[in-house]
Amino acid sequence: MAFFFDLFVNGLMIGSMYALVALGFVLIYKATSVVNFAQGELVMFGGYIAAALLVLYKLPLAVALPVLLGSMIALGFIVERGVLRPMVGQNVISVVMVTVGLAQVFQGAAALLWGAQTKNIPLPIPLEPYVIWEIYLSPVNIAAAVVSGVFMVTFVWFFRKSRMGIAMRATANDQQAAMAVGINVRMVFALSWAIAGLAAALGGVLWGNLIGVDTQLALVGLKVFPAVILGGLDSVPGALVGGLIIGAVESVAAGYVDPYVGGGTKDFLPYVLMILALMVRPYGFFGREIIERV
Amino acid sequence: MINRECGVYQTTYEGDMALYPLPLARYSTLAVVVVLALLPLVLDSHMMSLANLMLLASIGAIGLNILVGYTGQVSLGHGAFMMVGSYTAALVTVRLGLPFWLGLPAGGAVAALVGAFFGIPSLRIKGLYLAIATLAGQFIIEWVINHSPWISGGVQSTIYVPTPTFLGWNINNEYRRYFMVLPVAIVAYVAAMNLVRSRVGRAFIAVRDRDVAAEIIGVDIFHYKLLAFAVSSFYAGMAGALWTYYLKIANYEHFTLATSVSYLAMIIIGGLGSVLGSVFGAVFITLLPIVLVYVVEGGAALFGFKYAAIADFLANLRLIIFGGLIILFLAIEPEGLFRMWGNVKRYFRLWPYSY
Amino acid sequence: MKIKGLLTAGFAVALAVALAAPAMASHVIKVGGQCDRTGATKVVGVEICPGLTDYIALVNKKGGVLGHKLEYTEIEHGYLVDRGVEAYERLKRDGAVATLDYGTPIVYALTPRHMDDKIPGITPGFGRADSTDGTSWPYIFPMAATYWSQAGAGLQFIKDQGAKKGTKIAHIYYDNPAGREGIPIVEAVAKKEGYQLRLFAVPPPGVEMGPQVIDITRRFKADWVLGHLFGQAPAVSIKELKRAGFPMNRFVSFVWGAGETNIEAAGWDTGQGYIGMQYSSTGRSLPVIKEIMQRVYRDEGKEIPKFVGSVYYSRGVLNGAILAEGVRLAVQNFGLPVTGDNVRKGFESIKNFDLQGFLPPMTVTSQDHEGGGWVRMYQVKGTEWVPITDWIRGYRDEVMALVKQANKK
Repeated sequence: MAFFFDLFVNGLMIGSMYALVALGFVLIYKATSVVNFAQGELVMFGGYIAAALLVLYKLPLAVALPVLLGSMIALGFIVERGVLRPMVGQNVISVVMVTVGLAQVFQGAAALLWGAQTKNIPLPIPLEPYVIWEIYLSPVNIAAAVVSGVFMVTFVWFFRKSRMGIAMRATANDQQAAMAVGINVRMVFALSWAIAGLAAALGGVLWGNLIGVDTQLALVGLKVFPAVILGGLDSVPGALVGGLIIGAVESVAAGYVDPYVGGGTKDFLPYVLMILALMVRPYGFFGREIIERV
Repeated sequence: MINRECGVYQTTYEGDMALYPLPLARYSTLAVVVVLALLPLVLDSHMMSLANLMLLASIGAIGLNILVGYTGQVSLGHGAFMMVGSYTAALVTVRLGLPFWLGLPAGGAVAALVGAFFGIPSLRIKGLYLAIATLAGQFIIEWVINHSPWISGGVQSTIYVPTPTFLGWNINNEYRRYFMVLPVAIVAYVAAMNLVRSRVGRAFIAVRDRDVAAEIIGVDIFHYKLLAFAVSSFYAGMAGALWTYYLKIANYEHFTLATSVSYLAMIIIGGLGSVLGSVFGAVFITLLPIVLVYVVEGGAALFGFKYAAIADFLANLRLIIFGGLIILFLAIEPEGLFRMWGNVKRYFRLWPYSY
Repeated sequence: MKIKGLLTAGFAVALAVALAAPAMASHVIKVGGQCDRTGATKVVGVEICPGLTDYIALVNKKGGVLGHKLEYTEIEHGYLVDRGVEAYERLKRDGAVATLDYGTPIVYALTPRHMDDKIPGITPGFGRADSTDGTSWPYIFPMAATYWSQAGAGLQFIKDQGAKKGTKIAHIYYDNPAGREGIPIVEAVAKKEGYQLRLFAVPPPGVEMGPQVIDITRRFKADWVLGHLFGQAPAVSIKELKRAGFPMNRFVSFVWGAGETNIEAAGWDTGQGYIGMQYSSTGRSLPVIKEIMQRVYRDEGKEIPKFVGSVYYSRGVLNGAILAEGVRLAVQNFGLPVTGDNVRKGFESIKNFDLQGFLPPMTVTSQDHEGGGWVRMYQVKGTEWVPITDWIRGYRDEVMALVKQANKK
């Protein structure tokens, strides 16, 4: 039984790291209806900047972190302004393809600026696990869970209570109506990319610390799809719940099913789960249902 | 193709609905085919390999466009359906000894079945949710092929096939491979052109434009969505099978998610809902990285840089330019290269008397 | 409209440049190779490829191959199969007499072409193990320990360290064809020696392997871990195993988990004691690397990049050395002009080639295109890889039996 809980807890921890990446994805989709295929690359870029600041320029963490967050927010603004805004109103799939192009640019730019060689992000987080009731809790994963949790709570509060957050929700609901009541929709778009940049920065630091920073870091973006679909593409709590479920299922499946089928179940089991869930709830657990009228 | 409509009047419905209603269009299409057939006389073997790769990509892209562009069902699993075709062709060739011209439809048929199966979720879910559901198809098919030694031929998941032959003619160099690929590509192109203007094609378009309305006017959505998946996967399977005979090997690593995404890129940049656009897109995405190699490295050499000294810089620069061009093309013309081609054609239609 | 015009013009120019075939020159011997500097394996590519070009530059500095200049063309393919095919066709058209194929899927895709065109291709570190048999694969040269040989050597090392019947060995591998390749040998040896073996698959991209590590360390309680991972996965495996308290000096990795970059990603402190295999020596103290640093860099007044002498750079040097040696033997035995077939015979007459201790004592024959299948164990100490054994190989009979069996079909 300890083995099961080990797997389960480990899965939840990893799931919270997926959720962090998923969050940026969901924010952009919710506010701007853009499916961002470059979210993984955004995370990678965040990791690269962090590694560059900490390792190449040898800044202390207390200085590096604000610089990192600031530059990723700026990057989010720039991307929205320079690349996505000209595409406003174009058909969705062309916009998706623009983000695929964007991903290539990020890949090239990161390697061009800081080199393709793998870098390490030194964080003052100990490696030795805490052992509680025979369950091993790794400090990096705990940190990730805490960061995701804080982030999530902050944004739920932000969307519910703050003026800007309400404006963002209004825009997500109906852009035209939002404009009509005087909401600055452009500002909302820019802000959602900036927040996505912020989430990517944190994701980049934590994932980069776990697996090292090079352009392959962008692959964590792939893991996001089942999580966000499960939770619903446009739901912030959905991103968290989806991430946690996917993480836990992967982990437990890898521990119990892998030995019998020759491995790799965690690669496709989340997707099977996702399809089944979609057959029952086509818009995910928390996604907004679109009622169609002709 | 370039043509002018001046002075052509149709007096029958058949004439009006013909694939190429204008005599000039017919001649220019014929001319293109003749040029394609004579291409090996002027190109060297390296250029022929480029031509082959573009034709192979075109077949797959046309198939995907039938599904995404005409029926409106976004798919991220195209690579996996190509994989199914590829392994089917390899297996029927190696185990049953079938020649390649039977292996091709076999690959297509099996892929069509698998494609229709993975199209079932499309009845319930739509749009981006469907795109991600087909992404699941990509991973599931990959996993199954990878973990079934009966299909994949052992831990390496690769199957070598013998040199394909046609009437005792060994297809073992780029010129001969061209004549294996070209007819298939032409048939695929013509078939798609005819499909999309037939009853079935119109049903596809109706489903894409407004599925509820289509259902009300009597289009069986269930039937046509699955049919679109099957047809598209048939094309993918053919392309995968042809790829197997072209390389003489089946290996699933040639058909990963990246392949699916790049096919999607082809049809979006080429133009959704256009058969010719798919070909444009296939040519663009296949050729652009290779042309960039010559342009960027040639350019650097022009300024006196040694390749070895700045190879990394150039490689990453190319990647940035590649991504940048995709963004730029879509920003200029979100409807793709086919639309650009249309603009050019429209300009020349009244030329030199345009006003 | 203007932008569109410009674009069209730019494209026309690009096409014209592309279509103008580069002029051919005589009396130089052309070899070619592919490289990945932007794709999935770019971390490796950016160090391997300079190693190769630097070695060829060194050969030419020293007067070329028996007085003939060796011209090496690198084509970057981004780990994509279609571009790999194009690159090969381009090299072939330009008269390359031997090529380096880069990347497992591309090696697979190009194998039939090498056989049709009679141009030998070397595939160190990428090739499939059964192409060791030169009678079945006359134009394919793995030229370095294949995954089968690596598995054999790794298990030999574990045995030398005192493994006996009942020892628990966990084989953690990347779940793709290249990753699974070692399994048959690992299983055969485990059966022969009576080890308890369990296999743990890591699906690509392998950014997360908590469950496997929990299983290895807490349920299976392995004595040794034999790792065969690529990309990010080795670093993740090091971190996760370390975190679970597994001793690093009982973790033996195949060649693609044994670069500086893998340890860099995991952190050097974390990786202390970790053992990896190399099929070429590594480090700046080797004579050939010193020579390169002197003649290719210092004599030219160039700064020496950080990666010179690194593990992957050394593998690039090995690639270059083998190409040059094969061409040299071809010229020496058969004279000019050099053809692909002659280079094949040249490769097959390589005997006890070790490049002043840089390579294992390599002897290639028409039966053995692997050159003996030697590896050397290195261990992470401080911030470098330190050799802890001489060149070793193990379970050669099992490996060769499997090669024979695989080619019988």
